[in-house]
Amino acid sequence: MTRVSLKITGAQGQGVNSVGELCAKGLKRAGYCVFGYREYMSLIKGGHSSYQLDISDTEIRSTETNVDILVCFNHHGLKKNLREVKQGGIILHQTSNVQLEGEDQQFIEDRKITILELPTEKILKELKAPPILGNTLLTSVVWSLLGQERASLEELIRERFGRKGERVLQMNLSCIEQGLVFLEEQKKRTHVVLSEPKEEWKNHMLLTGSQAMGLGTIHAGCRVFAGYPMTPSSPLLTFIADIQNRTGMVVKQAEDEITAVQMTLGAMHMGTRAMTTTSGGGYDLMTETVSLAGISETPLVIALAQRPGPGTGLPTWTAQGDLLLAVNSSHGELPRLVLSVSDAADSFSLMPEAFNYAEEYQMPVIILTEKQIAEALYTQSSFDQKSTELRRGKLLTDAQNVKGQDRYDPSVEDGISQRWLPGTEAETYCGQSYEHSPDGSFDETSQNAKDQAEKRMRKMDTLKQKLPEPELFGAADPEVLFVGWGSTKGAVLDAIEIGKGEKVGYLHYTYLWPLKTDKFVALSKQAKKVVLIEGNQQGQLGMLLKQECGIDIPDKILKYDGRPFFIDEIISALEDHV
Amino acid sequence: MSDFGSSNPCTWCDGCGNYGIWTAVKRALAELKIPPHGVLLCYDVGCHGNMSDKLSGYRFHGLHGRVIPFASGAKLANPRIPVIAHGGDGACFSEGIGHLVHAIRSNYPITFILHNNANYGLTTGQASSLTWQGQPMNTSPNSIPEATLPSMDFVFSLNPTFVARGFSGNIPQMVEILKAAVQHRGFAFVDMLQACPTYNKFATHNWLLEHVYDVAEGKHDTSDFANARAIAIDTSERISTGVLYQNMDAPSFYERLKPRENIKTVPTEEVAKVDVGEFMKEMV
Repeated sequence: MTRVSLKITGAQGQGVNSVGELCAKGLKRAGYCVFGYREYMSLIKGGHSSYQLDISDTEIRSTETNVDILVCFNHHGLKKNLREVKQGGIILHQTSNVQLEGEDQQFIEDRKITILELPTEKILKELKAPPILGNTLLTSVVWSLLGQERASLEELIRERFGRKGERVLQMNLSCIEQGLVFLEEQKKRTHVVLSEPKEEWKNHMLLTGSQAMGLGTIHAGCRVFAGYPMTPSSPLLTFIADIQNRTGMVVKQAEDEITAVQMTLGAMHMGTRAMTTTSGGGYDLMTETVSLAGISETPLVIALAQRPGPGTGLPTWTAQGDLLLAVNSSHGELPRLVLSVSDAADSFSLMPEAFNYAEEYQMPVIILTEKQIAEALYTQSSFDQKSTELRRGKLLTDAQNVKGQDRYDPSVEDGISQRWLPGTEAETYCGQSYEHSPDGSFDETSQNAKDQAEKRMRKMDTLKQKLPEPELFGAADPEVLFVGWGSTKGAVLDAIEIGKGEKVGYLHYTYLWPLKTDKFVALSKQAKKVVLIEGNQQGQLGMLLKQECGIDIPDKILKYDGRPFFIDEIISALEDHV
Repeated sequence: MSDFGSSNPCTWCDGCGNYGIWTAVKRALAELKIPPHGVLLCYDVGCHGNMSDKLSGYRFHGLHGRVIPFASGAKLANPRIPVIAHGGDGACFSEGIGHLVHAIRSNYPITFILHNNANYGLTTGQASSLTWQGQPMNTSPNSIPEATLPSMDFVFSLNPTFVARGFSGNIPQMVEILKAAVQHRGFAFVDMLQACPTYNKFATHNWLLEHVYDVAEGKHDTSDFANARAIAIDTSERISTGVLYQNMDAPSFYERLKPRENIKTVPTEEVAKVDVGEFMKEMV
């Protein structure tokens, strides 16, 4: 297996994403697994952004710190990203007369880096092509640097620009030609070696975690979606909104997050499947409604896309800092389920489960995702739809014999009472935010308050028994046990596969609250060393584990700079700990 | 009407305007032949919210200030069920005023009953944004330094499709207003002026009784926006009540949803596994 990485940098709006996406699509079709990672700033035009593609013939799901090819739309990339180029790497830029400073020049010489200056302006002028075609020209050069065939790029370009008319298409094809001519004229090393392509990747999808989550949401039978824009949750809202005419879903961009979550709760109470999504600050606004869902025992599904806080924090970067928020948010004591996705695959498969648990247990379900998952590009096989189950728990379809006081009957052993929907010909009840008697009437008596509180919390015991234990990857009897959650999984698994992985295990938590600890306790007793790895400052999963089973994990790898874990960081961590 | 009965005794103060509104809601539903299982009544937090367990019907009693988005979301999930949202002047013109603005703008097909007693009753008589000037209230012993919010002018500025005003002392008129509101196509704003004998010493039951008049007694054109606005705002001598304005032509939010065109079912009937194969193909 060979990993090759390509990083495209430039100002936002210059075409960084467009070149990145085109290359990703072409490479996947050529038979490679690609993993795309975006970095950008909280602004629309300008600034400095990048799109990195890691490319391999075997499955990869992480990014490396240093790259084989650096493409610079403007001179900033030459300064800011220069030191990220590997030994023997290539820099492709289009800034004429660029003068590198002494140390930078020395770095290039030491690392034997090839520099290619593409005279984009001159070429476009000769072709009488508009500046936007610079993207195709640049892509053509990158394409050849990666050793890929001209025909496959031409096919992609035809697909993309074919309907814009013959003239536009021909102009694009000329740019491809000129890109090749440019490269032929270079008397330098002009390509990197990729491993042999594999057939299996060609039929895979290329999609972001947000798109996967959107498909999962639709697949789960969600029919009402309300949201308020906030990075990095917006791509999910946008995805659902963009295809609403095909899905027939009710999609509402609400006036604020409180509205979004209240509309979602109202729609759930009425009996459809509804959902909202937000990020940290927006979630803060929703927490009173989470509490309401807890006492009124109304199903609720919220996708919380994490970015670094506090405050506005780093809006376009990634974090795993909101675990304790999700677990502890909202006043009063209430049952809830907190789970986290880790990649495109479970961003899809966990959505039906989130709705199932919300309806079965009649409680709020918070699905954590991260900017890194929401916006990363995954090479992913078609999702399995056959095995999906829709479970709605004790939702009555025939409610003729039901009594109003069955709604919040505190005597039920598992804590879960029957639920029936407005409009059902049956005795009615009040979905109640006040502490209530079994039919939802006000009841402030001591015994009732105790009974109802205990009834609600019994649902957590029932749920905890049902939830799967965390999943162990790598060695079955690990001597070194890494424990983590969320997007960390991708980098850790990639590192275990190519690093000193034989004695290493990774215990991955998907279901985070209620927290199951039996497997963790057993494995950590056997292991020589346990290492906590999280994308936050406090080691929040570690805090929960200690709280729940008393085991402290002194060895911690914690990252809280807005960046995800890169594979090389994990490899060196493995070397340190094994 | 007895179908809407409840064994729970009312807990409001003697002389509270909520008794009248409570009666009118039940009677309006009965006269519309809507059974208790065919309606969703949503309550905000406040004295009016204590109605939530004093009648039958599917009900939801939620958070302070948030009844409008909750009720709107419920309605969009099943537009066949009439949804009535109740909220006080504190909830609607302070805590949740943004929701009112956007509900009017969105024209959600729900009825909103403003229980307007011009103060925060349940928290023991603090001033609301609709409390009159010059009234000493709990937490504002010198009366409020803020200006009173001109609620009707504000509502009309948002281009509403249904505005009515009732008085808690006139049950037959409230019944007629509520019937029209429930049958309205979009967002029906119903301002119910109600007495609060414990904390409102200015707009008392008797004062309201002396000042209100029914627009239906004269020649009132409910489609005349400008006139409706004028008589709604001017309460200097008399207070107009009844259905003041109605636009029958404006489609509701749900009717405006392009994805829902030609779909005969409602979202509550559509919860099933959806095949996303077509979307997946496009991502290859």
